[in-house]
Amino acid sequence: MAKEQIAAPKTQEGFTTWLKDNLPVVIVSVFSLALLIAVYIKGGPPQIFNILVTGGMWSLLATGLALVFGVMNIPHFAHGESFMVGAFVGYFVFNPLNQILFENPNPLLKVTAPILAILAAGAVGAVLGVIIERIIFAPLRHRTKQGWVMNAFLLTVGISFVLTNGTTLVLGPNFRGIPRFYDVDAVELAGAFIAVDRIMATAIALVTIALLWFFLRQTRTGRAIRAVSQDETGAQLVGINLDFIHTLTFSLATATAAISGASLLFMFQAYPTVGVTPLYFSWYVVMLVGLGNIAGAIVGGFIVALLQSSTQLFIGLSWQSVVPTVVMILVLVMAPSGLFGSEVKGVQEQ
Amino acid sequence: MTVKESQLEGQTGLWGKFVNFLNGIGFSPFGLVLLIVIAVMPNFEPFSQEYVLRWMIMGAFLAAQSVAFDFTAGYINIVNFGFAALLGLGAYTSGIFANTTPFLLFAPGLNPWLTIWLGAIMAGLVGFLLGVLTLRLRGIFAAVMAWFVGIALMGLVNNLTELTRGPLGMNPRKFLDTPDNLPYFYIILIMMVGIYITLKLVTRSNIGLAFKAIGQNPDAAKASGINPTKYLVFNFTLSAFFAGLLGGFYAHYFGSLTPSTLMHTSKTVEVLAIAYIGGRGSLWGGIAVAFPFIFFIEYLRSNFTNLPGLHLVIYGVLMILIMIYYPDGLSGAYHWLVGKIKGLLGLKKEQAET
Repeated sequence: MAKEQIAAPKTQEGFTTWLKDNLPVVIVSVFSLALLIAVYIKGGPPQIFNILVTGGMWSLLATGLALVFGVMNIPHFAHGESFMVGAFVGYFVFNPLNQILFENPNPLLKVTAPILAILAAGAVGAVLGVIIERIIFAPLRHRTKQGWVMNAFLLTVGISFVLTNGTTLVLGPNFRGIPRFYDVDAVELAGAFIAVDRIMATAIALVTIALLWFFLRQTRTGRAIRAVSQDETGAQLVGINLDFIHTLTFSLATATAAISGASLLFMFQAYPTVGVTPLYFSWYVVMLVGLGNIAGAIVGGFIVALLQSSTQLFIGLSWQSVVPTVVMILVLVMAPSGLFGSEVKGVQEQ
Repeated sequence: MTVKESQLEGQTGLWGKFVNFLNGIGFSPFGLVLLIVIAVMPNFEPFSQEYVLRWMIMGAFLAAQSVAFDFTAGYINIVNFGFAALLGLGAYTSGIFANTTPFLLFAPGLNPWLTIWLGAIMAGLVGFLLGVLTLRLRGIFAAVMAWFVGIALMGLVNNLTELTRGPLGMNPRKFLDTPDNLPYFYIILIMMVGIYITLKLVTRSNIGLAFKAIGQNPDAAKASGINPTKYLVFNFTLSAFFAGLLGGFYAHYFGSLTPSTLMHTSKTVEVLAIAYIGGRGSLWGGIAVAFPFIFFIEYLRSNFTNLPGLHLVIYGVLMILIMIYYPDGLSGAYHWLVGKIKGLLGLKKEQAET
């Protein structure tokens, strides 16, 4: 009798329980799909490709944010400045190479020059991440863990302030941009013309995310990072070097942001406050999906790009700073820890 | 025991009563002397020059902002990242009502002395809503939410061009017709002292204790019978109200408002840096830091014109250093010093008593 009662709901109401468990995901998917169709009808294929390009970028940036918050409990507010540094490095590497190419053409260099610039940006970003973590967060972490989330947040605000104004001081407030990475004709895809640069930027974003995902899931170090994000003390007990993991995580996040900054140089010119928009939208992503949720951040990037694109199409570009707040308020009032929830210990602590 | 204490008070006489009264409103004798010095300063050379007076006004404005900011950040431990936007909201509301009265079309606009209160109420209302909105969210969510609301407010001001003229900026009329800066200095000084005393009285009361309890551990506070919702909303509302009031001063002193110079997040960061360098949870720390800082910054700005933004870098570096190595800030250093001195004197006192 009792067995039947337990077994019966599973078979009969299997679908409803599944629906109950995954209600946020279902609602979000249905809503996104409807919005996507609406955007397609109004804007056509170019809009869809636009969503892919910006979505890939927000995903990559938000993944870095989620990683840093999940593992180190740092609400990273200087993420936009990593983007800015990447854009500057990309510019200062690509421009001389382009100059050389202009004087003596070389087909191999022509193809690899943008890649070199982006890789250089990633390398500089990684080093910058190590430096920031070692000289700023490590001392604080060793001194006290009390009120860590808020203190770390304010520290990143300070870092962002110093990096932005320091760049203005050294390089001036000028815009430094390039018209395009690849000087070739746009490719025709499904009736829309898309610049090769855009395809490349999307590909780089997706490949970087995939590599990061593989690294976190499949390698020993990646598993150690996830262990630290789940339980710091436990991780330490099984012999994981916490300092190394923290530095590596921060460095990874900075490097990915720098890569996206460099690969989007044709869209976002390099100037000291270029990081504000990427920071705003990547925070929008992680707040929507739930802080520290890496898988959610990847999906959320595309959802935010879709929302952005539909705002632009149906409401108007000038309302782009008002609509996200309204959406976020609605979502957070209904689901205080984000659409897909977050299981980060830091959120509960503070 | 109580007799002894009252006797002690009686012995100190009028001076003791005066000190007690000062303590009651949040001043130490030393602090009062400093305040009087600041108040009298503009009547003497070189501080009576108009450009120096402008710095003093900016200093008092920044100091008052840091007091209102610290009331949230230092007590309930939530950083109101939309502070500058709330200030801008107050400034715009006041400016709009002073220039044209939307509901009384025949009137030539209300008196600025009245409209600054309208601006303050408007900002307080949004602060109230922000409090209600964020009370289900924990610290960092609340800070980011305030940031988003601030950006949305800035977007609104940029978009409602019929009221605000958007990025072109609007020109509210001034408080007074004089080109002198001295009256304005006393207006902002009185505002600063008023805000300080009001907030100090609030934090001295049981409400202040509840704030501290919530700031340290919301769950423990809840378990001991404190309703976090009520206090959080009250705190946000009061802080936003004063931010709006200060915005009104800005509007009718400078006579020009643009969204990007007033409501941008970097303005919040400047206030945050001052409040933290001054020491969080003290309220007066920001005041003590703001005046020397303004002079220092203006010195840098006028002597290193080829290095724009140097002062902002110094702001940031100082803030980072203080956060890592000396989180108590200036007020912590002051209390440490006073404790040391009292320890030296107290030793003698104890001996006398025994």
